Amino acid sequence: MMPNLFAGTTIPVLGEVLNFAQARHTVLAGNVANVNTPGYRLRDLNEAEFQQQLKDAIHHSQRPPSLADTEQPDPLLNVRQSLENLLYHDETNLDLEKQVAEMTKNHLLHNFALTVMTDQFQLLQTAISERV
Amino acid sequence: MISALDISTSALVAQRIRLDTVSSNLANLTSMTRDENGEMQPYQARFVIFQTDEDLQTRQGAIGVKVANVETEQIEPNYRHDPNHPYAIKSGPKKGYVAYPNINMTAEMVDALVATRAYEANLGAIELSKNMAQQSLRILG
Amino acid sequence: MTPVAGLPITPPPLPTIGGQQPNLPAGAQPFKNVLVEALEQVNAMQSQANQAVEQLVTGGDVNPAEVLTTLQKADMSFRMMLQIRNKLLQAYQEINNIRI
Repeated sequence: MMPNLFAGTTIPVLGEVLNFAQARHTVLAGNVANVNTPGYRLRDLNEAEFQQQLKDAIHHSQRPPSLADTEQPDPLLNVRQSLENLLYHDETNLDLEKQVAEMTKNHLLHNFALTVMTDQFQLLQTAISERV
Repeated sequence: MISALDISTSALVAQRIRLDTVSSNLANLTSMTRDENGEMQPYQARFVIFQTDEDLQTRQGAIGVKVANVETEQIEPNYRHDPNHPYAIKSGPKKGYVAYPNINMTAEMVDALVATRAYEANLGAIELSKNMAQQSLRILG
Repeated sequence: MTPVAGLPITPPPLPTIGGQQPNLPAGAQPFKNVLVEALEQVNAMQSQANQAVEQLVTGGDVNPAEVLTTLQKADMSFRMMLQIRNKLLQAYQEINNIRI
């Protein structure tokens, strides 16, 4: 019962989003640091791919489990392990404004996920302590 | 999802390219370039053409901007009489004259100012977008 | 003096449990149904909020402010429900402590 305490909430999903946002932040910061490096190729983490994998994992975890399920019990673990495969080289020019804009959007996503996750924890806390 | 942030960023990039061309024009006030025939031609001013960017539009009708093309002017150069100059024209009605670029410095400076103001305005818009998103987290109290 | 045994003693009508429903004014429901319905609504709001969050982080076309509002509404409904449940329990314990 204990591990499934969070199964009905969005806490696991938001945890993965936080992981992704922090990893992407370091990649983008690396781009900004290399703005004057000759021959440097832009790097980024593929956000669309990550969102698709997240969607699949959520969908998978909501299906009724069947006896033939030999896959691992936590589909979100797949998402975390594939974080390394999301790195790709962006062949466009290094526009500093674009990199900063991407960092800003990533930052907003990170803060959003963090705030919602904190709120969910507080809600669980309220339910457990029965003290509104 | 395209947001106000992406649209403002496209404007930042476009205005910086515009400023780059102005800098190029000012730097080459008296430059020559060698054309495809090997002859020395005076530098012609470059200018940017802005265009709305169809890849960057939202359902509500907001649309971004992009630089469609960097065009080169085709105007008459300035001629100055200097028969002893190595690039003086050898024959024809303009014999003995040297062709210099015909760049209006004042107009270029004004263009640079306008580009800078536009850049700053878009920066302000980005700050507001960021602020709105951050403040909306206060809904959760 | 009339004998006690002969007096007609009609006890007040007790609420029937599981038998016929007591007479209610038109349109009203037993309190149990009201509670169960409210619980289902709170649950629906919670799952709606969860879905909205999941849609947003998987790239759906939802407004973040809308998602936050949905979340907060679900939160408040849950807390309201919890408070109602606490008061009900308190009332039940008070009734239990009535010494007959």
